[in-house]
Amino acid sequence: MKILVAIKQVIDHHVAIQVKLDNTGVETNNVKMSINPFDEIALEAAIRLQESGIASEVIVVSIGEKPIQTTLRSALAMGADRALLIQTDVETQPLAVAKLLQAVVAQENPQLVLLGKQAIDDDSHQTGQMLAALLNWGQGTNASQIILKDDEVQVTREIDTGLEIISLSLPAVITTDLRLNNPRYIKLPNIMKAKKKPLTILAAEELDVDITPRLQTCKVELPLRRKTGIKVENINELITKLQTEAKVI
Amino acid sequence: MDFAWSEEQLSYKESAIHFAQQELREGIIEDDLYEKFPKERWQKCAEFGVLGLPFPEKYGGAEADLLTTMLVMEGLGYGGKDNGLLFSINAQMWAVQHPIQEFGTIEQQEKYLPDLITGKIIGAHGISEPVSGSDAYSMHTSAKKCDGGYLLNGSKTFVTNAPIADLSLVFAMTAPEKGSWGISAFLIETGTAGFSLSKKIDKMGLRTAPMGEIILQDCFVPEENRLGAENIGAHIFNNSMEWERACILGAHIGAMERQLETSVSYARTRKQFKQPIGKFQSISNRLAEMKIRLETARLLLYKTAWLKNEGKPAKMEAAMAKLYLSEVFTASSLDAIRIHGGYGYTSEFEVERDMRDAIGGVLYSGTSDIQRNIIARYLGV
Ligand SMILES: Cc1cc2nc3c(=O)[nH]c(=O)nc-3n(C[C@H](O)[C@H](O)[C@H](O)COP(=O)(O)OP(=O)(O)OC[C@H]3O[C@@H](n4cnc5c(N)ncnc54)[C@H](O)[C@@H]3O)c2cc1C
Repeated sequence: MKILVAIKQVIDHHVAIQVKLDNTGVETNNVKMSINPFDEIALEAAIRLQESGIASEVIVVSIGEKPIQTTLRSALAMGADRALLIQTDVETQPLAVAKLLQAVVAQENPQLVLLGKQAIDDDSHQTGQMLAALLNWGQGTNASQIILKDDEVQVTREIDTGLEIISLSLPAVITTDLRLNNPRYIKLPNIMKAKKKPLTILAAEELDVDITPRLQTCKVELPLRRKTGIKVENINELITKLQTEAKVI
Repeated sequence: MDFAWSEEQLSYKESAIHFAQQELREGIIEDDLYEKFPKERWQKCAEFGVLGLPFPEKYGGAEADLLTTMLVMEGLGYGGKDNGLLFSINAQMWAVQHPIQEFGTIEQQEKYLPDLITGKIIGAHGISEPVSGSDAYSMHTSAKKCDGGYLLNGSKTFVTNAPIADLSLVFAMTAPEKGSWGISAFLIETGTAGFSLSKKIDKMGLRTAPMGEIILQDCFVPEENRLGAENIGAHIFNNSMEWERACILGAHIGAMERQLETSVSYARTRKQFKQPIGKFQSISNRLAEMKIRLETARLLLYKTAWLKNEGKPAKMEAAMAKLYLSEVFTASSLDAIRIHGGYGYTSEFEVERDMRDAIGGVLYSGTSDIQRNIIARYLGV
């Protein structure tokens, strides 16, 4: 069984985000980039399925500009077999990404597509669902456990009321949640070995998909700084302040 | 110096940090207290690929260049907290593996390097003796030629890894009348008749790096276990010291960065006199000094590594790097304690341990005084 894992390069989660002076976006120049943590979990899940003999090949795909090759190399060093970079300098939004992935699925014929449930930069939380809809495949989102048997996959989902267990027939799309696994660190010799694994670059135009952005960003601003609170002496004071100052009761 | 970090080099450092944060942070307080050698962490480092990093692929290494190797050490020192373990590992890499790779026969390399790199065996390097330290070549241990090999007598002390070693690189006098031109190096396996390891030596810092004595009593070492030609021991020792001085403190750069980050965050959160202590110049000046020491030490380390990478002589640079890195790590460790006040003095905060670990650095591989002598000699005084 082939597994396709879609990964996105995002600003590393340790970096303190800076908004550009002209408010058109966040600063990405000279900022440390990493693989989106949820995608790393998706990749780990795929590699484990391969190690347990269930998957035969793990292919990673990423969309964007050339520098994301570094992130793909890390994915190869982690254990993916080969990588695909769909190159474009157009800002890719969830629907465009889903369409591009649909085209890749048509070429590669994977039985399972794994994605992070969301990317930590725009937090859209849409790509996996859109891809499943475009492909007309079953979807299991926010997976905290994945069990494959024969041509069925059982996905445990974390939902507000607890855990939901669903069963999907393959092929399927699964998006991963935080608690699915703890991704491995890359062993040093594997970084060297990853250099020899195939990384194919494909221009987005070659896939013949309309990726024109449909969402327009008006302005990007830092959230307002929360004012420091005060300590009240007792309940009565709290109630008075809520009534007279905050005017919420 | 002419280089910029490549994406690949940076990815090495990143995975080192990732690894160390997961595997080299927990349990160090207890291991330090009870002077316990963390065999499991050593094994994890071996599996992760640390020990083989700059060594040939055919022996299980990754053939990384020296700058990459130093970046990885930095990452391990930054992400982890076990200075002792990293010291132990580096002692083996530069003072055991490296001499075997450079001076060993193919048979010796094939026999020992793969096992040292995978962590199957551990190596130690013994030159210091109870009466000969800085003046290492005034050693008493002798190796008398006999049928098929040598008979060794004497003792070695302060030997890092000795209590846990499977293989020791030992220096002995083959021709005492020739002084430093009469020393040879030998590879001795633990278990060899006449070879014994004393119980470990209790010490101030680097307590997860065990230290012990080697006793040689009519210990027969076959000819094929001599490392390099007869009487070139001083050359082998000098060569391995140049590597060790250049590289052994790389991990401390990372430790200094970790220490600085911890100190900055403490200075921002700890309040006295109704303000964060970082607002007091006495604290912020100290932090600024720590930052300058860190960055200057980095440059010296990278320059030395770059020279060695290019195959250029770096004896004086190695001595400067060794001296400077160890001294600034000590100075900054003390500053970190001062910034943390009484909490910095407690073992729970894991600040004081760096101080105890740092002091070893101004002694091993030649004391700071000896490094100054070397630098002065290269200056032509
Ligand atoms: C943590 C640690 C690990 C070690 N690991 C090993 C190991 O694996 N293998 C090994 O063989 N040894 C090891 N050593 C021993 C180390 O190499 C010696 O301690 C060091 O070389 C100094 O020798 P000494 O202790 O005998 O001091 P001495 O040589 O007696 O020096 C005492 C003092 O005199 C000063 N001094 C001596 N000569 C001069 C001079 N010419 N000019 C100016 N000042 C001078 C010294 O700087 C020092 O301050 C280790 C030591 C430590 C602390």
